[in-house]
Amino acid sequence: MTLTAWQQLLDTATSVPGVRGAVLVSIDDGLVIAESAMDILPTAEVAALAAAIVQRTLRVSAAASQRPPRSVRVSGDAGTLMAFVADGPLWLVAVADPAAELGRLRLLLGDVAAALR
Amino acid sequence: MRVLEPWLAEPLTGLLRESSARLALVMTASGQVVAQHGFTRSLDVMAVAALGAGILATTAELARVVGSPTDFGAVVHHGESQGIWLAPFDTPRGRWIGLVVFGRESSVGLVRMFFDRFAADVRVAAPSDTQPRELLAEGFERELDDSLRALFGGAPR
Repeated sequence: MTLTAWQQLLDTATSVPGVRGAVLVSIDDGLVIAESAMDILPTAEVAALAAAIVQRTLRVSAAASQRPPRSVRVSGDAGTLMAFVADGPLWLVAVADPAAELGRLRLLLGDVAAALR
Repeated sequence: MRVLEPWLAEPLTGLLRESSARLALVMTASGQVVAQHGFTRSLDVMAVAALGAGILATTAELARVVGSPTDFGAVVHHGESQGIWLAPFDTPRGRWIGLVVFGRESSVGLVRMFFDRFAADVRVAAPSDTQPRELLAEGFERELDDSLRALFGGAPR
């Protein structure tokens, strides 16, 4: 898949109202591969921290002899972070406002992550 | 962790805690090691400081040769179990160099993020009472020796 195709899929993810941005992250090194985000979203920091969360979640699953998670969701007062496995070490990460339609976003991110494979 | 000046302790502690770094070294561009964490022998610090400054000087020259308008910034070497983040940053005391060794419990992204914060914290906390000096200046070796004596005590070992 080309960078342009990745970009189009990320733009699709950010089309949901309330989504501040979507980032394709390399979980191994916590770096941004491609992004579609509002200017105010610090995507490099989102990628680094999301990668840390996903890595720890994968370790917890392995330690508990469970299958690795396909998605991770973290919610707080200021919004929600959703991460979906895309292709190997690449994960699709989205950050949304508290008022975003999270159900719709979850379905869409699942589809986009699948298309990224 | 050892620091030459107390005001450096808080920013460096933050970097180490947040990035889960294993080793860290902060030095001036002129070769004075101002802080270190994780090294037990001054000879190791001496070698790492000299090699790190040399790598940055080399990449700066590469940037010039290929026509880059600015230096490349950070240099990252990523091995199977450990990585090295090496980057210059500007302070009121001139250009300093940071070297961070990290393992699989961290990542390049995390180290970059918290290194940037560390550099910003240093800029705020640093007293601006000395003149900046150039990378690999004439007195590099002497300054390195002096700072190692101050950090470890006695002659380099």
